[in-house]
Amino acid sequence: MGAQQREYKQRIGSAQGMKKIFKAKEMVAASRISKAHARVLATTPYADALTQAIGAVATHSQEAQHPFLQADRAQSGRVAILLITADRGMTGSYSHNAIRTAEELANTLIDEGKTPVLYVVGRKGEAYFRFRNRDPHRAWAPYSEPELGSLGQDIAHTLTADLLSEDPETHLDELYLVGTRFLSRFKQAARASRLVPMQLVDAEDHVPGAFPLYEFAPDAETTLQELIPRYVESRIVNLLMQSMASEHAATQRAMQTATDNAQTQIDKFTRLANTARQAEITQEITEIVGGADALAGSGRTER
Amino acid sequence: MSTLEVTFVTSDRTVWTGQAAQVVVPAADGSMGILPRMQPTLAVLGEGAVRITGEDGTVSERTVHGGFVSVDSDIVTIGVDDAELVESAR
Repeated sequence: MGAQQREYKQRIGSAQGMKKIFKAKEMVAASRISKAHARVLATTPYADALTQAIGAVATHSQEAQHPFLQADRAQSGRVAILLITADRGMTGSYSHNAIRTAEELANTLIDEGKTPVLYVVGRKGEAYFRFRNRDPHRAWAPYSEPELGSLGQDIAHTLTADLLSEDPETHLDELYLVGTRFLSRFKQAARASRLVPMQLVDAEDHVPGAFPLYEFAPDAETTLQELIPRYVESRIVNLLMQSMASEHAATQRAMQTATDNAQTQIDKFTRLANTARQAEITQEITEIVGGADALAGSGRTER
Repeated sequence: MSTLEVTFVTSDRTVWTGQAAQVVVPAADGSMGILPRMQPTLAVLGEGAVRITGEDGTVSERTVHGGFVSVDSDIVTIGVDDAELVESAR
């Protein structure tokens, strides 16, 4: 076998090996999407219950106030961006899209004269900012998938403490979340949204002073104090889980493409190997025929 | 007599949902019983046990640490961080 053929066979072999790995990774990601999506859905009833409860306080009581509800919290000019990225690579454009959305948001904030402060989840985002000498204020990386709930609690506590802090060095005026929304298995979108200050939209027009009987225990103020940090936490946990599901979906898509590419490589090198083999055979025949002709032309009759 | 429509959720799952005759929750300022046709209420929960008495009289009890409960026209929503089943109540 010729050297050229051997080279092609080797390439085919390695492409086949990689194809198997990509295929396996794709299937693992595919099976994890539905599990991750189920976890997202499981947090929905709690979030709905919280939203309704906060709505009730807002609708039925006027004196209730919370620092997160004040429209103008400008104090230190510091604005937090919570960016959620992946820990691992091979996720296609997943982490990159989230980082780009955060960068766009940061630029808008700088144009408005505010100072963006980065809180990053995931090694990819952390590495991105560290590499550019813009160390994130706080980074959670690496993180593990089963502990997203407690991770969310930890993040929410840190952010709530900084938002409420009186110290101008740590105080945060606003909080933006940047993560990837899981719209469906086939569609995910990196989005930025503002969490603090919150905007309460009460659906019904209510006449001030004419409340229906609605009791708050112990009172409206305390209830709101209890509910709002929970709401912040539930939103963060929900976004973490959506991002996780999106990461799996992105991995699946990236690995699907990689598998297809490996197959294309295999096809290409198989064709080249065949051509090389044919060329070798043709050359051998030509040599034999050429040799026979040369013998015939020399006039010798015996073999 | 009307019944209570109870939804009991923790931050990551639904613990209990269905019709109940009575619900007792550990409100921050003392235990609070909820019966059908109670006035709309929103309460903060402390530590203690949430006891749900089903329509057929079965009782299930779970320990909770903080959370909230909302009652509005016989729809009871209990949201807590974590709920552990109390075995002895079964």
